[in-house]
Amino acid sequence: MIKITDLQKYYRTEEVETVALNNVSLEVKEGEFVAIMGPSGCGKSTLLNILGLLDDPDEGSYLFNDIEVAKFNERKRSDLRKHNIGFVFQSFNLIDELTVYENVELPLIYTKVSATERKKRVEEVLEKMQIMHRRNHFPQQLSGGQQQRVAVARAVVNNPKLILADEPTGNLDSSNGNEVMQLLTELNEAGTTIVMVTHSEHDSRYTHRIIRMLDGQTVTENILV
Amino acid sequence: MIKNYILVALRNLWKNKGFSAINIVGLAVGLATCLIITLYVIDELSYDRYNEKTDSIYRIDADIRFGGNNMKLAVSSDPMGSTLKRDFPQVEQFVRFRGYGGFQVKKANENLREDRVIYTDPTIFDVFTLPFIEGNPKTALVEPHTVVITEKTARKYFNSASGVVGKTLTVNDTSNYKVTGVIQNIPSRSHFNFDFFVSLAESSEARANNWVSHNFNTYIVLKPGSDPKLLEAQFGKVIDKYIGPQVKDLMNINMDEFKKSGNYISYSLTPLSTIHLHSNKTAELDANGNIQYVYIFSAIALFILLIACVNFMNLSTARSANRAREVGVRKVLGSLKSNLITQFLTESVLLSFFALVLALIIAWLFLPFFNQLAFKEISFNLFAQPWMLPLIMVIIVIIGLLAGSYPAFYLSAFNPIQVLKGKLSGGFKKSWLRSGLVVFQFAISIFLIVGTVVIYSQLSYMRNKDLGFNRKQILIIQNTDALGSAAGSFKNDLLKLAGVEHATMTGYLPTGGWRSDNPLFPDASLDQKRAVSTQTWRVDEDYIPTLGMKMVKGRNFSKKYLTDSSGIIINESAAKLLNFKDPINQTLYTLEDIKTKKLMQYKIIGVVKDFNFNSLREQVTPLAFLLEEQRNSVAIQIKTSNISGLIAQIERKFKEIAPSQSFTYSFMDDDFNNIYNNEQRIGKISVTFSVLAILIACLGLFGLASYAAEQRVKEIGIRKVLGATVVNITEMLSKDFLTLVIIAAVIAFPFAWLAMNSWLQDFQYRITISWWIFAAAGITALFIALFTVSFQAIKAAIANPIKSLRTE
Repeated sequence: MIKITDLQKYYRTEEVETVALNNVSLEVKEGEFVAIMGPSGCGKSTLLNILGLLDDPDEGSYLFNDIEVAKFNERKRSDLRKHNIGFVFQSFNLIDELTVYENVELPLIYTKVSATERKKRVEEVLEKMQIMHRRNHFPQQLSGGQQQRVAVARAVVNNPKLILADEPTGNLDSSNGNEVMQLLTELNEAGTTIVMVTHSEHDSRYTHRIIRMLDGQTVTENILV
Repeated sequence: MIKNYILVALRNLWKNKGFSAINIVGLAVGLATCLIITLYVIDELSYDRYNEKTDSIYRIDADIRFGGNNMKLAVSSDPMGSTLKRDFPQVEQFVRFRGYGGFQVKKANENLREDRVIYTDPTIFDVFTLPFIEGNPKTALVEPHTVVITEKTARKYFNSASGVVGKTLTVNDTSNYKVTGVIQNIPSRSHFNFDFFVSLAESSEARANNWVSHNFNTYIVLKPGSDPKLLEAQFGKVIDKYIGPQVKDLMNINMDEFKKSGNYISYSLTPLSTIHLHSNKTAELDANGNIQYVYIFSAIALFILLIACVNFMNLSTARSANRAREVGVRKVLGSLKSNLITQFLTESVLLSFFALVLALIIAWLFLPFFNQLAFKEISFNLFAQPWMLPLIMVIIVIIGLLAGSYPAFYLSAFNPIQVLKGKLSGGFKKSWLRSGLVVFQFAISIFLIVGTVVIYSQLSYMRNKDLGFNRKQILIIQNTDALGSAAGSFKNDLLKLAGVEHATMTGYLPTGGWRSDNPLFPDASLDQKRAVSTQTWRVDEDYIPTLGMKMVKGRNFSKKYLTDSSGIIINESAAKLLNFKDPINQTLYTLEDIKTKKLMQYKIIGVVKDFNFNSLREQVTPLAFLLEEQRNSVAIQIKTSNISGLIAQIERKFKEIAPSQSFTYSFMDDDFNNIYNNEQRIGKISVTFSVLAILIACLGLFGLASYAAEQRVKEIGIRKVLGATVVNITEMLSKDFLTLVIIAAVIAFPFAWLAMNSWLQDFQYRITISWWIFAAAGITALFIALFTVSFQAIKAAIANPIKSLRTE
């Protein structure tokens, strides 16, 4: 599903050029659950952003479902992203002005799903995430765990082939964290590919494979399954 | 999608109630001001449009240079209208107006003063659209001693607007006028406004065929399709054919010689539709408006609207950090830049619509106040025109788009990765555009402050200027001609009252009003090269002492010298133009009668110091006093603390002589100030607008300051932990804004100086714009800004730092 080869990414300020990714190559197969680990600043978030088509690499190739996307323009990336990729963030990133229901509905609006279909799908996913009773609440009225469940619901409502999670449990206590990891596992078992950046060895045990990074390079891969 | 945008927009507005209120109120006040000014401009531009023939009606104006005087007149000679109609087929009709002042009209036992009186030809109803309620427009003013009155006048004198034709009005106790028609009241947007239209048939002057005397406001109607320029091109021939012989007859020179000595006469056609705003000549039928003020107010309206839009842009972008996460999330979820732009534009258009609704309410509430201020009768119904609503809608959408465009493009360009990581750079201080906009707002505000101060300084200069006569404590008893031959003894009776210092009887008072000039000749040959065009005032020997005027040469009139009845006192300007070595005892000649060429001669007995008898917009022109009884009014110099008691005594005296006449009086001070009504109104209006502009600008500044404080709350916390005092913090937060205000001042000053200097050119007697006006305007703006900003800054500075650091 994902195949990147010799990926390079630099960040330039006026005086310094920092190498964020240095000749990174990796492959993620459909149905895999992969963790990316490493110390702060090793480039794992940059990698995730590039995988999620939020950022573009300076050099190298990125095949998404056998299509070369490294040089896609903003519109094409956005199009591909909204139909194929769901995101889960450490800080949830729900829109405060929208209710639970409306937050989850948002990706469907951008993919121009009809109103009746939207209603059906949002309710379905809220039911699945056991957050239906909170559908008319605003994010601030929810606990952290509930907010992340809403974020996961939003990530999966479009039935993406790939979910990218950036430290999804980072802002949660351990029981809420476990709950979210359980959710992701279920999604993976149902066929969704998941790439997750994490600091937590505990969370990484839910995955099939761990990619460790250091200073912009992949250093080791542990196959867990 | 749009539903989602509106939903988010509404919730966002509600969540940030303070900001939304500042935004909406600021924009609404700006819009309301704009709406009111729009109404004013529409009102000013639609004068005389009620006439069916508006576009084919022209007034014949004269431009004459003679006797050292250049006169631009709204009047023409008595035979002009009829001659043009006879000689030029394209002239369909003409009508003349001649003002002879007001008269007294009897109602029951009382005489009421009426000033809105005009003498006119029966053709008036062919030219102007003045619908009849009763009577026949074809015949109404054909006979002498007939009058057509307006509906409200009919109600005033006959308690009814119908059944009035055939009745009579008694005028000045002596003549009876037959009412031959009742017309609808003159529309408020008309360049003339009369209640009595009296037939000119009784006036011999109207048939004098005198081409060299200009007293008639003359209007012609051109046939459809005829070019006024072609007619104007023929005026030279008219002058040669008709005026030439009369000039020859009078002064024994032909037109070429007349022109050679620097004199000229020319005529032009002024379109009716341009009279109100573009014509400000001598002998207008009524005080006209001024296109300059229409421009100035339109510019102010635009400025205020711009300030309001700038606020909107500034506050929206300042808040952008709060919206950044939303932008990031939306982008991650697949929103395109264009979607986000649409979203933010939708929000700002929505906001503008809220502001519009509020603005309409504000405009409706404040229109009466504005009418009072501007001395207008503008109706809110002007908005009822079919094109108005769509136009406003379009403008609102444009404003919404304009105001929302910067935030929309700015916000939609956020990099989602950065904003979601909370790494939004750009901070508060860096925005050049935002700083530029604040500078722009304050530059306009400071410009308006300077303008207002200059207008007020000029007004106060005019009010306090030494005019060469004393206008304080001068009480004018009007309507004393109604006392007839007893007027003289009335004046003498007043002198016996305690508190009356001096008294003079004459209608010639130096408080404005147009009087025509007559040429004075220094020799009996009437050499036109040496003629001096002069106003001649008929006064008594008490005039100069009562008004405190100064003699520079010779003496005042005196009862001791019987020959003073042929004496003349001239002012310094006349003396200068007459150019005598010593004017005293020189003889001056005037032409008493054009037909018989009878001459009058006067001996100069004195020269009076120049005094301003016109408005201070104009130079002092030549003037002469003759000793002759003139009973129009009695002016008295009073010295009493009990003014009302004195007036009551005077009224009793007046009523003893003439119980049925109305007693009216005024103070010369007030009459004088009335000359500058227009300027005073402009002054008041510009103060109002300046205050509004500053208010709106401050509203924006307040918003920005509170936002800046909010953004820097962590920085403030750290600084306080490290030992910064409240004063340090306040200073830090205020400094940036104050720098902007100072830059604004530097930009505004040259523009303000240029604009106000050109305004002052209208006044012959004017102030010079001194540095302190700029200093005062700058300091005022600075203090207002400081007050606005420091309110927020202090609030931020005194907050507990631990709190702010912990929440981060």
